[in-house]
Amino acid sequence: MAAPSKNQEEENVWIKSTCDMCWNTCGIRVNRVNGVVVKIEGDPACPQNWGKTCAKGNAGHASLYDPHRVLHPMRRTNPIKGLDVDPQWEVISWDEALRIMEEKLRKIREEDRRKLVLASFDNRGQSGVFHAAWAAAFGTPNQRGGGSNYFCGNGFHPVTYLTHGTWFGEPDIPYCKYLILFGTQNGSVVNHRPMDLAAKMADARLSGMKLVVVDPVGVYAGSKAHEWIPIRPGTDAALALSMINVLLNEEGIYDREFLCRFTNGPYLIRRDGRYMRDPESGKPLVWDRSTGRAVPFDSPEDVQIALEGKFPVNGEDIPTAFTLLKEHVKQYTPERASSITTIPTETIRRLAHEFGAAAQIGSTITIGGHKLPLRPAAASWYRGAIAHKHALLNGLAIQFLNVIVGAIDVPGGYLGINPFSETPPRQWSPAASADGLIIPQGYARRRKPPYPATRVRPPERFDLLDLCPVAPYGTTFFTESLLHPEKFKLPYFPEMLILSRCNPVMTSANPDVMADSLTRIPFIVVFTCNMSETALLADIVLPDAHYLERLDAFPNEPTEFMGAGEGDWYWMVRQPVVPPRGQARPWVQVLFDLADRLGFLGDVYTLLNATLDLKEPFAYKRSEKYTWEELANLWAKSWFGPERGIDWFKQNGFIISGRKTVKEAYPRVFLTPRIPIYIEYFLDAGEEVRKVTRNLGIQWNTDDYQALVDWKPCPAYNASRPGYDLFVVNFKLPYHSLSWTNDNGLLAQLSERDPYAYSVLINADTGQGKGIRTGDWVRLESDAGYKVEGQAFLSECIHPEVIGIAGCFGRKSKGVHFNSLLPQSLERIDTLSAALDSCVRVKVSRLHT
Amino acid sequence: MVIDLVRCVGCDACTVACQTENGTPQGIHYAPVFRREIGKYPQAKVVFVPTLCMHCENPACLKACPTSAISKRKKDGIVLVDQDKCCGTKACMAACPYGALHFYDHQSGMYGDTLTPPEEYWLQKFQVGTAQKCTFCAHRVDRGEKPACVVTCPTNCRIFGDLDDPQSEVSTLIRERSGTQARPEAGTNPSVYYLR
Repeated sequence: MAAPSKNQEEENVWIKSTCDMCWNTCGIRVNRVNGVVVKIEGDPACPQNWGKTCAKGNAGHASLYDPHRVLHPMRRTNPIKGLDVDPQWEVISWDEALRIMEEKLRKIREEDRRKLVLASFDNRGQSGVFHAAWAAAFGTPNQRGGGSNYFCGNGFHPVTYLTHGTWFGEPDIPYCKYLILFGTQNGSVVNHRPMDLAAKMADARLSGMKLVVVDPVGVYAGSKAHEWIPIRPGTDAALALSMINVLLNEEGIYDREFLCRFTNGPYLIRRDGRYMRDPESGKPLVWDRSTGRAVPFDSPEDVQIALEGKFPVNGEDIPTAFTLLKEHVKQYTPERASSITTIPTETIRRLAHEFGAAAQIGSTITIGGHKLPLRPAAASWYRGAIAHKHALLNGLAIQFLNVIVGAIDVPGGYLGINPFSETPPRQWSPAASADGLIIPQGYARRRKPPYPATRVRPPERFDLLDLCPVAPYGTTFFTESLLHPEKFKLPYFPEMLILSRCNPVMTSANPDVMADSLTRIPFIVVFTCNMSETALLADIVLPDAHYLERLDAFPNEPTEFMGAGEGDWYWMVRQPVVPPRGQARPWVQVLFDLADRLGFLGDVYTLLNATLDLKEPFAYKRSEKYTWEELANLWAKSWFGPERGIDWFKQNGFIISGRKTVKEAYPRVFLTPRIPIYIEYFLDAGEEVRKVTRNLGIQWNTDDYQALVDWKPCPAYNASRPGYDLFVVNFKLPYHSLSWTNDNGLLAQLSERDPYAYSVLINADTGQGKGIRTGDWVRLESDAGYKVEGQAFLSECIHPEVIGIAGCFGRKSKGVHFNSLLPQSLERIDTLSAALDSCVRVKVSRLHT
Repeated sequence: MVIDLVRCVGCDACTVACQTENGTPQGIHYAPVFRREIGKYPQAKVVFVPTLCMHCENPACLKACPTSAISKRKKDGIVLVDQDKCCGTKACMAACPYGALHFYDHQSGMYGDTLTPPEEYWLQKFQVGTAQKCTFCAHRVDRGEKPACVVTCPTNCRIFGDLDDPQSEVSTLIRERSGTQARPEAGTNPSVYYLR
């Protein structure tokens, strides 16, 4: 810290903790002087971020000391709820707040436990695991881990689960020589493990890795690319499928050995689209060239399995799944993809050729004494490509680029985040289903995998996840159910909503629609640090603890927030640096108090013992009432030994539990479960969904439950009508996260300085053609009738058909609110993955002021 | 210092690290990052340019100051404003080709007039009515640490070292990557070099 002031510095300490400004859990050191947090820096020893913190991490204390923080429990006294309505808050005591909540919860627990809904984005580490256990012990199925999750990983997590056996993925940048980003900004301090990937990306770009960024907006990540490929929104899958077509059918570049051994490509497919199965064992059949017979897929290794071809079985010519795929993608000619995406035909061919060549199929590398395939080409994708109606198909199409060149879980390619662990304290390994396909296991299975398909049944969960056998979560359907309960035949309606660490009014669809949906729930409790737009709708607002005020054991989950590939296993803690301000309390601890009052705390402990696999003498005893710290302490000791309790972790910030083995870093060649490139099980899953929804009289589209991946247009794609000629897209800034950092006093200063932050970004030629100049106030009106206004900024770094709006600003903060333009409707939701389509057509007009 | 523009992704970590390290008042950024578009669609991009005081060999600010409030350290060339000697003429601000000097004209916090506890701690060291600027984190350098902006940068785009040592990392990078100064025609001979 700078030269000491007039005040005596009685205390000047640095305390290790874990950042929570986004969810990437960077290791930090926090400087506290005389009880005040004055500086935050990265922890140089922590493998998550190697001493780096982004603008947000540097600014954590600005939100800690925000004078507008909610610091007291409050009760609304104005019965009318609305986004512009004064709740007329009355400050109450915690005793009173708990009394009210206890009464409501007791009634619900007696009458119908499903009537309680719990929604929070605080779903990792101690807070995450413990509140999920609380909800399960309470007895409600209506617990949503991802608070808003309208268009986050819908078309990502199911894909990485299917193809790696884990929840998340990242490109193996250190070995990669050709990286294509589809609608994501890896390396530009956005998305996943941003500090580590930023350094790796910069190193790789300077040592010869070619970076291609496919994105309608080229401002941030596009500006670091060797080649920025502007694309029409919602058409990434057309590009990917066309590239696959070129590789398979024009260039003949694909990893035959990989596809034969590690995918269901060789499986024989019947005329009805299902696997041809061995009549005795029921196993899917493949063709053995050496004997000229169909044999089960897991036959001994001396068979010569055919990847391609049509073979005579039972008097018919039966193709392999790969043959079907190869034929299927022929329709995605570069010419056709060009007209869909606006990318020039020759560029599409060239990208495919470059990607295929860069993959160096057949090459190997020796790491740690193991000879592994080297495939230094990868495609990475996230929200821009998958926040669309056909989210899951889009995600699969892009990942298949990696699959067909064998760049999955091998050096240089795309890696799942730790699908396999053989290092204490937790071990897990993907298993194979009866059909030989990947099923995540153990810790990697913590979230809802898409395979095997979950049973489809009349909805009991209010987010209709019972109708979604392959979706990771059902948040958009929750809103649908609230707005149109009669459509979905649910046997109850929620009575109480507990919400924390999310702001669905701002981060979902149009705020008025979101407010309408949420206020149909009679009683809303919001735990929050700031008075968010959503908190304005609460009946009770409770002061949540800031991350610098709370203890959370092990927030960096190994299948999401530890590195993929080579490196260490590391387990971090978050600890309070200062006591909670005002009357703030960590929200999950409040839930645990309520569990105690309602008599089910023992059940929570029992569930946690199972979830965390706690061993004696550290397992939680039902008869005890532990402090939060004691719970963390026992957990730490159970996993890391009696010498490594929570005090040890507070001292050290994290533990490195081991160096990854080669098998852990690059598991593909060591494992047998296969990747589906032909999603055969979707056919039966779709049938099940049709059956149940038809029986219930629920209108529900199941078209995308198909075995072969297609590009399909978003509703907005063909919706151009006079005036509504432009798409509007959202893009992320590296110094903001969701909506809650908007009013951070330090970060808001950055927004002021950045011409891209608060403006309406318009292509320079497009803007000039409409008589718009930088600085003009403009109105955007969507074809659904929603309007936003903002100041235009003319840019060369955006597709001429596209308008760009950054971040999640507007309403309370300056700037423009993109989400205000988004309609909420079932027709705009991917029924497979619950993604809401975020492609909207707008009319732009200059305001005369 | 060397700043590698190929690495910089415009994340503004440095801007905030600097502001919180030095406790600069609301709106005053010693180390802002500028954004400039170059090219024409689709061969267009944004160039992110981190800036700070250049700690010039021939500081224009030092020459311009009528009260000799600005000096250059012999041991490492860091240019510093002694706010006790500053009378607030702003001659330095007019002279500097790089906009590196900032005038602290009234106390206000990031949330309005009421200061947060860290701001109370930070702002007591600044005198209203004086010029302030980047110090290359002299207080950190004197402890053997690197400046805050260097330490925080996620892409490792900022390198700090001894320009007088031809084998140092900064000297090597300038040589190997043809590092250039900003606005060399101003004649102040900055100590900050950019790599493109």
